[in-house]
Amino acid sequence: MNSANIKLAVHFFQQEKTLAHQKYLRFIQGLLMVFIIALSQSSDTVQSYLHENLQNLLGADVVITQQESLNNNQLQEIENIARALVVTQQVSSTLTHNGLWQRAQIKAVGDGYPLQGQLSIADSPQGDVQGVYSGPNIGEIWLDARLLVGLSVNVGEYLTLAEQSFLVAKVLVHEPDRLMEGHNVDMRAMINAADITKLGFPAEQVQYRYLITANKQQSTALIQWQKDNLPGAQLHHKQGAHPLALFWKRTENFIGLTSIILFFMAAIALEQLSQTQIHKEQYFSAICLSLGSSLKSCIQLSVVKWCLSFATLLPAVLVVSALFYGAVVIWLQATFVEITWQWNTWLAIKSVAAIAIILMIMQLPVWLSLKSSTVAQLVNPPKTDSNLLLTKISSVVVLCAIAFAYSDNGLLTAMVVSSIAVSICLMIIISWLSLTIGEKVSQRFSGLVPFTLFMMKQRLLAKSTQILGIGLCTFLLLFTLMLLKDLGNTMSAYQRQHDGNLLISQATQTQMLDIEQLASTENIEVRQVKPYLRAKLIKINDTPLDEFSQKPSDSLSTLGRAIRLHWSQDIPANNRIVEGSWWAENTENWQQISVEQEIMTDLGLNIGDRFTLFINQQAIDFTIVASHVYRSGGGSITFWLQMPTAAIDHIHAPIFNMASIELSQTQWPLLNQLWQKHPTLRMVSLKEMTERFDRILAMVTQVISGFSLLIIILASVVILASVQTLEDKEKKKNSIIMSFGFNKPTCLKLNIIEWLFTAAIAALGAISGTYLAGMMIYQSQFSIAYQPNFWWLLATLTLILALVTSFGIYASRKSLKTSIRQLLAEN
Amino acid sequence: MSNHIALENVSQSFSAEETKVELFNNLNLTINQGQSYAITGPSGTGKSSLLMLMSGLENPSSGSCTYVENGQKKSLTLLRENIGFIFQQFHLLPELTALNNVALPLKLRGDKQALTKAKTWLDKVGLSHRLAHKPLQLSGGEQQRVAIARALVFEPKFIFADEPTGNLDQHNATEIADLLFACCQENNAGLILVTHSHALANRAEHIFSLADGHGIATAIEQLEAVS
Repeated sequence: MNSANIKLAVHFFQQEKTLAHQKYLRFIQGLLMVFIIALSQSSDTVQSYLHENLQNLLGADVVITQQESLNNNQLQEIENIARALVVTQQVSSTLTHNGLWQRAQIKAVGDGYPLQGQLSIADSPQGDVQGVYSGPNIGEIWLDARLLVGLSVNVGEYLTLAEQSFLVAKVLVHEPDRLMEGHNVDMRAMINAADITKLGFPAEQVQYRYLITANKQQSTALIQWQKDNLPGAQLHHKQGAHPLALFWKRTENFIGLTSIILFFMAAIALEQLSQTQIHKEQYFSAICLSLGSSLKSCIQLSVVKWCLSFATLLPAVLVVSALFYGAVVIWLQATFVEITWQWNTWLAIKSVAAIAIILMIMQLPVWLSLKSSTVAQLVNPPKTDSNLLLTKISSVVVLCAIAFAYSDNGLLTAMVVSSIAVSICLMIIISWLSLTIGEKVSQRFSGLVPFTLFMMKQRLLAKSTQILGIGLCTFLLLFTLMLLKDLGNTMSAYQRQHDGNLLISQATQTQMLDIEQLASTENIEVRQVKPYLRAKLIKINDTPLDEFSQKPSDSLSTLGRAIRLHWSQDIPANNRIVEGSWWAENTENWQQISVEQEIMTDLGLNIGDRFTLFINQQAIDFTIVASHVYRSGGGSITFWLQMPTAAIDHIHAPIFNMASIELSQTQWPLLNQLWQKHPTLRMVSLKEMTERFDRILAMVTQVISGFSLLIIILASVVILASVQTLEDKEKKKNSIIMSFGFNKPTCLKLNIIEWLFTAAIAALGAISGTYLAGMMIYQSQFSIAYQPNFWWLLATLTLILALVTSFGIYASRKSLKTSIRQLLAEN
Repeated sequence: MSNHIALENVSQSFSAEETKVELFNNLNLTINQGQSYAITGPSGTGKSSLLMLMSGLENPSSGSCTYVENGQKKSLTLLRENIGFIFQQFHLLPELTALNNVALPLKLRGDKQALTKAKTWLDKVGLSHRLAHKPLQLSGGEQQRVAIARALVFEPKFIFADEPTGNLDQHNATEIADLLFACCQENNAGLILVTHSHALANRAEHIFSLADGHGIATAIEQLEAVS
């Protein structure tokens, strides 16, 4: 390419950059770049923070965690490999004081703790923090500040735990091995290791954590030793990944996946703009060709112009991305204390390159259209847009690439993509149906409304695109803000009705007997009781779980820990079989298992695959014979893994129970008796569950609202782009109407009617989409009937109509600035 | 006295690059309903501007443009609903069929007989076999026939046509001119044509010839009716 062509490209770029369609184009490109760069930088910062966090907060070089204590041989073997070893014991318990109760994680520590780093304590919640190198003395307990407040207890007072009295000696500020708690926000307490035996907690309730000092070779040897000898244990080491790394990778992937909506909106806007662009570029090329230029030069000019536009956009994009990224870091500081702004230039370059490729693919139809430019076009302008199909194909390619890049969970990807696809189809069908029926019905009538419907039907394709843009934006907003709120309310009501107001998530056999006894004497209704034992999946088809898949997934993450394994002779009332067949009654073949459908899909499992479960130090093989899903009507306690009842005769492991009970207002204080006798009893009230749900909802709403803001901006661009594409046609239409003896107010009325219809169809589509999505989610996930608030829907509809119509009229104001003189001037 | 448009002492000028350009000065004209007029003259003499003044789409720099109905002077804006336009480029809406293009002014007026009347007019202009065709499927001559039918379907009192045959071949131009004059006569509509074609201008009852004096139209000449 010669320098003259580059100079020419620079010249034309300068001239064209102020054109409306070029401005919209750059705006869309900029918005996508800001999103991708800010997302990747934020994610990278979280991952770096976690890595740093792992180095500083593991409290050891290697940590082995398991439900049982190691035997002497095992301890000896570890000591032979490593340099130092310290054990801590954790138990989840309920502390009571003067009628108040609080759930907390109690850690028992002995000599040698902390292994690395130091403990921080204080004499009062506001007191000076001091570092110490040993835990509490025998008979003492250290509580974190929240626990002190929750129990209304002060340092120096005594509290009772499992009928043992403890002196509250210090405020626990920081533990060097705190990392292992991850996102656990449970309140914290610490006692001496010698005391835990006195408390008599059931052995199966106590979790053992071995903190080990080891160099790199020793760590590698320990990892291998754990695989061979303790397959059911969890091992973390400084060379490995942070336990939360996969969680955050998954979060990034989920946001990335939902960005399909952003790219879809961008694709709609770009498709609109490409019509204007193709027309202008083809016209320009045809003139160049008529002046003796080659087709190659014309395409080169177009490509260079695009590259210049992209390059000049970068400085502003980088500044805005940095600001957004800064805002995200500030928002994350609520979760990750001390997380800081760390710009990764190399990552920014990679992100820019990736988005450049994506945008080039979207621009490809414009360049390819130039191949068909001829001088003949100047004599006979082309009547149809030949590259519309190509534009759609390039959009689909981009969307597939994004889905693939961010997909780590088959089911989630399928759900997100299919829910978007369903909404899009729904809105296209509603647009087509309402305009077709409206036009047919009003055909026999005259006036402004039938005329508007008629014209909208004639411009169905362009109108559908507008409606789709607005509708998708509204759908997303409605779905997140309204549906999740309804979901919370409906769930609370449902749980109250079916499961009582107290859920017992873990009770040993002894504890369950006491609960049942209390229930019968106090006339408390026990609604459900389901037994289970703890099992950890260690192999799938003889492949160790950590080698089974390298991609982060929800199911793999959960299966990495011990989960609940239920047994049942018959299919539980709240389950139904979707694949395979349930075992026969009284079967002797006990090594069969039914797996929840979500896990089957997520891990790509089939009937006949084998699971090796590690249960109470035994590895047991099971063959998958069925896959089940949840269904309503039989209570909400359901299990991912279920086996025949016969299996329980062959497996020797502690048995726990899940149960739900209904307590009256006066019966709540009875729980204190239960907790004082059984501090490890895990119970959660409906109120707590609702509060937890509300907290999650608040966080999700914040994220989605930010995301929706981007969608709103893009939807506005879609409206502007579509108005811009149709502007010439609209101007002409208005002028023609005025040539029939009508005035500008009539044209304005037509415009208002058209936008009202556009908004109404989009709102109808969005509300139907939301309703349908609600029904589907409720049915498939919770199997409950969704009852939306129709006043809410009506208010939303009115709001959408008002906003979209106002914005539409504002965007179309130029098309109203026309006169018959312009038609005369075209002569 | 018949209904007419009256231009009294009308002057029209505009400013361009700090220079005042005067198009007309103290112009007095009468356009009667039911009669035909042709405006001719070289490019840039203000033919289209005169058309805009006559149709009330623009206001003069000085003087008055009024509509006189049954001896009563009224503002030209009151005549707006009774004025139809025909353009050189036809300006049909490409999305609509010939029938719907013609029915459009009536539909917008809420006329329940819109489609029936449109069919009648398309029959008059000889396009009864092209009802369902869209503009792109019609020839230039056919498109202008549709445009004529569309301009006359709502029975306006005056038709303003800007180079109505400018885009057509000789044969089509003659046919369209015949049709235009006949239809206006049948409808008792005043016809005001802007044209470069002497043949077309000579068919009008009155011709206004704008002369170019140093780039400024300074004189207007009313010639005797030819047809």
